Amino acid sequence: MLRSKTYVKVLFSILGLIIVSTIGYVVYFAKHYPIPIMDHISFDAKIQFIREHVNIDEIDTVVIGSSLALNNIQGIYLEKDSQKVSHVLNLSVWSIDAPQVEQILGLTDVFPKLERIIYSGQFTSFNHANSFKNFDVNFLKRYINHTLNPLEYEKFLFNGCKDILFCRDRQLSWVKEYGDNHKFSYLNFDYTGSAPLNMHGKDIIQKRWIKVDGAGQHPNALKALERMLKKAQAKKIKFYFVQTPYRQAMIDKYPHIKDIMQSFPDEMKSILSPYNGTFINLHKKLHLDDSHFADRSHLNNKGSKVVSEALAFDIDLYEN
Amino acid sequence: MLFNSYAFIFFFLPLTFFVYFYLNKKRLTEASKAFLVFASLFFYSWWNIVYLPLILISMLFNYTLGRELSQYNQKSRTYSAKKILSVGIIFNLALLGYFKYSDFFILNINRVIGSDISLLHLALPLAISFYTFQQIAYLVDSYRSETKEYDFLNYAVFVTFFPQLIAGPIVHHAEMMPQFDMLKNKVMSYRNIALGLFIFSMGLFKKVVIADTFAIWATQGFDVAQELNMLEAWVTSLSYTFQLYFDFSGYTDMAIGIALLFNIQIPKNFFSPYKATSIQDFWRRWHITLSRFLRDYIYIPLGGNRKGEVRTYTNLFTTFVLGGIWHGAGWTFVLWGMLHGFALVVHRAWQKLGFKMNTLLAWFITFNFINIAWVFFRALNFESAIKVLKGMFTGAIILPVSWVEYFSFLKDWEITSGTWSKLYQGEFYLGFWLLATFIIILVFPNSMEWKKKFKPNLFYMILTVLFFLSIFMLYRKSEFIYFNF
Repeated sequence: MLRSKTYVKVLFSILGLIIVSTIGYVVYFAKHYPIPIMDHISFDAKIQFIREHVNIDEIDTVVIGSSLALNNIQGIYLEKDSQKVSHVLNLSVWSIDAPQVEQILGLTDVFPKLERIIYSGQFTSFNHANSFKNFDVNFLKRYINHTLNPLEYEKFLFNGCKDILFCRDRQLSWVKEYGDNHKFSYLNFDYTGSAPLNMHGKDIIQKRWIKVDGAGQHPNALKALERMLKKAQAKKIKFYFVQTPYRQAMIDKYPHIKDIMQSFPDEMKSILSPYNGTFINLHKKLHLDDSHFADRSHLNNKGSKVVSEALAFDIDLYEN
Repeated sequence: MLFNSYAFIFFFLPLTFFVYFYLNKKRLTEASKAFLVFASLFFYSWWNIVYLPLILISMLFNYTLGRELSQYNQKSRTYSAKKILSVGIIFNLALLGYFKYSDFFILNINRVIGSDISLLHLALPLAISFYTFQQIAYLVDSYRSETKEYDFLNYAVFVTFFPQLIAGPIVHHAEMMPQFDMLKNKVMSYRNIALGLFIFSMGLFKKVVIADTFAIWATQGFDVAQELNMLEAWVTSLSYTFQLYFDFSGYTDMAIGIALLFNIQIPKNFFSPYKATSIQDFWRRWHITLSRFLRDYIYIPLGGNRKGEVRTYTNLFTTFVLGGIWHGAGWTFVLWGMLHGFALVVHRAWQKLGFKMNTLLAWFITFNFINIAWVFFRALNFESAIKVLKGMFTGAIILPVSWVEYFSFLKDWEITSGTWSKLYQGEFYLGFWLLATFIIILVFPNSMEWKKKFKPNLFYMILTVLFFLSIFMLYRKSEFIYFNF
């Protein structure tokens, strides 16, 4: 049995050590992995990418959407092949719905030279209408702009990592999906924030290749698109909606997909035109074969290069 | 401020502790008490400073009356001591009634006479049920000359001492104040720090790890599900039974642990209540200080068991109905109190008749009665309570598909096979949690027994450190259930 005084001292030393180690781990985590802001690793990674790698004063073009924008549009080719587009930021994150796109577009105020927004998607982009909870756009703008004071930053770090087990899980999933040398290691952003998929042949996931999408359109998702257009028009920012290619075999096989692929462009045009938005149908224009696809709707890097070049051409055409 | 929050554990508690003992070390004992009151009121106001004037007014009023009662025999008086006491009790009950029961009263008036009186929608001031009862006890004790207080600062310490301010235990002036005055208690005690940290960490673990885990399942069953099969309903009710116990006893352990850091012994409030083998035994183990209050200030003044059997039963029943109402303004609480009152009457009659029961069977009946009664305590309304009870007793029985071939003969009994629960699907650890918790509550010593056994050795140090790791789950911030009462 220890003396009470010794017991308390040893106990506090152990507890102190645990707390100091935890703080050390949090600092290490914050330096190497996306700090949890939302329960959405792709969003958190994008915010950190913008904060650390993007010169926000240069950006004139923002690409937005879910993975259909993140993977299907390569900012590098837009910059290279367009005379109008100089500096692209692909602001897209995986698996988001139109209301979430609308929320993320709230961040575009931090880009003083922004001239155009390119929303890349498909009919599937309006299947659901989820939004982010506790999305504090003003706080995120200040985080991206490096204008949080040290106390706010520490608090942000603390709130992000207070669930230390979640941080540990995130670290492991980040290493698994980005760190290892396998097919997903290509999910890293290029310098514009795009993530082209180098996925061909046996790397293709068959389940995703033939998965049948639903054709339903959520009214709240379409309303979110309308609000985005209204805001862009008020700020005199050009707005493009790009329908990216879809595997023709799926369209031919499933009547409901065929129907929606026919009606979707008209529906989009009817929403876009009152606000001077432009609809670009690259599915119809390009007719890509299966060698351009990573699955039924996501393009591989070969496909996204073709799409980006065609998009650059169309933008120049519309803006000249 | 919550005990289970980073702000409390890393800032408020260490700061209060060190300043309090620093002032005492400098022999500024009055200043140390004043600081403790200030810190406690800060702790109280953290939620909402709007409640602060109310507790201050209540304290001033009760202190004034208590002082009058204490000095009653020393001066000539216009009013009798009984009248002063009555004014005090009426004031306290009126305050509690206004804030806690106004809307309930109006709602029932509207229902009965078909009127349309607008509800007041008053926010329930935090801790009002606890500090009101504590101060009523003080007035009665002063009237009975069992305690006296002539110093407002001391009185303020008694009412506001932050470990017990929000949800008890409901303490007596006579058991608390002498401790604050003892010289040896003004010096830091390493033994009490070691013990206090152990009990606090155990309470933290109970609340953050156990209670908050069961809370998820209880909420699913009570508030989310439209219908429950038999197994789901039992999981729901047991989850709440365990949640409530670990939540409230966790809070009490934390309060006891924190008070020990300040060299103050708070009375125990729980003693393995789910080990009880009768309903009377249960109330000797559950929320002990409330039971003590109900006994000393309601049951005995009503006549207790001194006025014949029928009157004893009536008194028992009345006391527990009032106990039910104290917990909340709703008919579900009234029914819960009535159930317990009725059970106590039955138990007393059983004892009077000299019947005996096998201990295991007695435990089984007691535990299940308590578990079923908690359904009314937890449910937001009668519909929700009936949904759970219906599921528990007449809900569908669903067997795993793999069992079908062995139990095919049960088809005629409307027993089906499939996924055992859509509500709790994916909760793989649920069964383990329920089993482990049963073992904890029935086999392991309770925190008060641990407290007694505590020795500053490696074993207790490891336990304390392990329990403290619960701080990594504090992000699941949730309030204590008894903060609502």
